[in-house]
Amino acid sequence: MTLETPATPHDRIDSAEQATQLERTWHSPGGLLGWFTHVNQRMIGKRFIITAFIFFLLAGILGILIRLQLAGPEQQFIGPELYNQFFTMHGTVMMFFFAIPVMEGFAIYFVPLMVGTRDMAFPRLNAFGYYVYLIGGIVLFGSLLLSMAPNAGWFNYVPLSSKLYSPGYGVDVWTTMITFIEVSALTAAVELIVTTLRMRAPGMSLNRMPLFVWAALVMSFMIVFAMPAVIVSSTLLILDRLVDTQFFIVEGGGEPLLWQHLFWYFGHPEVYIILVPALGMISTIIITFTRRPIYGYTALVLSVVAIGFVSFGLWVHHMFTTGLPQLGMSFFTAASVTIAIPSGVQIFCWIASLWGARIRFATPMLWVLGFFAIFVIGGLTGVMVASIPFDTQVHDTFFLVAHFHYVLIGGAVFPLIGATYYWWPKITGRMMSETAGKWSFWLAFIGFNVTFFPMHQLGLEGMPRRIYTYVEEMGWGDLNLLATIGSLVLATGFGVTLINAIWSVLRGRRAEPNPWGAPTLEWAADSPPASYNFRHIPVVESRWPLWDWEQAGERAVVTGLRHDRREVVLTSVLDAKPVGVQVLPAPTIWPFVSAVAASMGFIGIIFHPIFFVIAFFLVAFTLVAWFWPRRPWRDD
Amino acid sequence: MKVVQGFDVSDMTRFNPDQRAPLWWGILGLITIESAVVLTFCVSYMYLAAYADTWPPRGESAPPMLWPSINLGLLMLSSLTMYLAGRAIKRGNQRGLAIGVTASVLLATTVLVLRSLELMAYEFSWKDHAYGSIVWTISGFHYVHVTSIVFGSAVVAILAWRGYFTRQRQIGVVVDTNYWYFVCFAWIPFYLLLYWGPRVYGQ
Repeated sequence: MTLETPATPHDRIDSAEQATQLERTWHSPGGLLGWFTHVNQRMIGKRFIITAFIFFLLAGILGILIRLQLAGPEQQFIGPELYNQFFTMHGTVMMFFFAIPVMEGFAIYFVPLMVGTRDMAFPRLNAFGYYVYLIGGIVLFGSLLLSMAPNAGWFNYVPLSSKLYSPGYGVDVWTTMITFIEVSALTAAVELIVTTLRMRAPGMSLNRMPLFVWAALVMSFMIVFAMPAVIVSSTLLILDRLVDTQFFIVEGGGEPLLWQHLFWYFGHPEVYIILVPALGMISTIIITFTRRPIYGYTALVLSVVAIGFVSFGLWVHHMFTTGLPQLGMSFFTAASVTIAIPSGVQIFCWIASLWGARIRFATPMLWVLGFFAIFVIGGLTGVMVASIPFDTQVHDTFFLVAHFHYVLIGGAVFPLIGATYYWWPKITGRMMSETAGKWSFWLAFIGFNVTFFPMHQLGLEGMPRRIYTYVEEMGWGDLNLLATIGSLVLATGFGVTLINAIWSVLRGRRAEPNPWGAPTLEWAADSPPASYNFRHIPVVESRWPLWDWEQAGERAVVTGLRHDRREVVLTSVLDAKPVGVQVLPAPTIWPFVSAVAASMGFIGIIFHPIFFVIAFFLVAFTLVAWFWPRRPWRDD
Repeated sequence: MKVVQGFDVSDMTRFNPDQRAPLWWGILGLITIESAVVLTFCVSYMYLAAYADTWPPRGESAPPMLWPSINLGLLMLSSLTMYLAGRAIKRGNQRGLAIGVTASVLLATTVLVLRSLELMAYEFSWKDHAYGSIVWTISGFHYVHVTSIVFGSAVVAILAWRGYFTRQRQIGVVVDTNYWYFVCFAWIPFYLLLYWGPRVYGQ
């Protein structure tokens, strides 16, 4: 131990050169090569968020193209083949390459800040996860440019996706890249769990954890238990396609329905994996913009946990029309309706929090209120389609398309944009324009409803999903035209936010550390935070530390961490008592090299199974280099 | 705002060889994820079996029991040597650690050899029917895992012989041991399913 015992504790706290030393220890290397060595959680989080929003933009453009194709009857704007690729890519990218990574990105950026620590538990693994995501995304989107994009729908049902009905590389790209990118989702999930459970600031017991951190924790657990199912299912499918196994081939004794079970066992929780962090964002925003403690903290936490559990018991409601036993289907109807209860608890807690409060209608709050309107409609149609007779009628119609866009855009994208406005000053150190924010909200809100509300009616009139055109006699033309106009308005709304963001980075007003007057720890850091997040690790005594400090005029901190290497405090799981100190690894190129080696395997097996063996050993060697202890061996 | 001292952590340990270490939780996370994969494979096997007319398909007999049972014994034995290796380094016995890990690696390598011979002797291919597909896939899945622990633990053994691990600096061993247990014990459900399953199910 090289730390000198100071004369008084305050000497230790106020030493000016400490900040410089901390910066030297925690800063990320510069230069192009340095870029590939970054392990800092804020860098990785920001990369996840930006990359995910680029995919949102790209998949959004595909959505607009789909709407343009459907704007009028018998259009030849894009042919059926391209149309199939577009809706498959739109769904796949939005679910796998936008929604989960962006939520994880926000969690990676903000969970360490909100729990008051300096980085995540496994900084190098974090970087590895990002490169996996980036490479997977580029390959998947690249396949579209090479006209070998997947075209069997984001659910990729067999036998449509089997070699017989989907020849070519499209489905292979889908299965390998989905498996690959789940690796990234899983590494982030484990990181978030360990960081949340072991690295919270002293005093932040579980019942003082910010609601967004709770939501991120539940999301991570859901990822850990849901993703393996899609990894297994896509592995079985790729084996069927590449080495002629018979898992889903009826003639060989295979079972196509096994695909649907495995896929939806993952796919249904997936919807809630996206929703749950959004619920955390909403609570966070409501607390700040009503400036009072939220109503029903415990009820909110328990209902998020309950949603996490129940969501695993719903998958069969995607399969009501496949001829499963009636008793089983009834169980899944009951389970599907049950999830309305914790969701309802959430909504009522939020209403109670808003009730009688002096609400500040800043842009983040507007997006939250928009969420209320849209998500409640989506939830209600969800209860409708959970009923077997109704589902049998509207299954695979535009009613479903309307329903899940209400849930997903209302439930995830609106809170997400709200959270982006809310946390923007923390990430960039600059404010976004409120006027543009409000324009963006209203355009998106109106555009959204004009786009998707008519789809309920189209579905009831019998318009199936995934068709590339329809004849005039069906009478679906007017509503489709309306929906297409709506989609352009919606896109304009999001476009305004994009311009707002770029404008803010260039010449936005500088932000103070806590511009909204929020109570959680991330606002105790600078805007944007220093490489080490906090000069002093805070000690927490309630759920609203910043409001407490404001009142008390002082705050307690942890002392005794070394500044010349990356040290963080470890605390106990339940009550966050300090139990030890962990030294975190420094920047290195190995996570990047490892990710490249792994991607060689995942891309290579599309063409030949031998790449699996090659990549297996390549990755193994890179991992050894990654973990190999450097001399001198540390001995304190 | 005035900043006052709350906790002083200068004297706390920087070595966390147990549940305090993030890495301990990290490997637990990996094991949880992989256990979910193991479970999903088992469920897939049972699902295919439940919907098949006969299991294994007509003309196929259930695979012989002898060699997989020996493998089971060898894997359990290797877990024991691994456990002893871990106990040795807890007492600071570096030589005991090195010998224990090396013994485990050799035992698991034997398993790989035996499994290779056994797989080559299978009378059916993964292409023949869903039964063949799932048996080969589960076998391959476990085979790859045994290969990975052999590889990873060989590295641990090299470091152990070079004296890297000490009573304090042993988290690498703890993590490796835990993952080793997982891979060995994952063989139990697979073994029951692949070798006892057809016999119980077929009658």
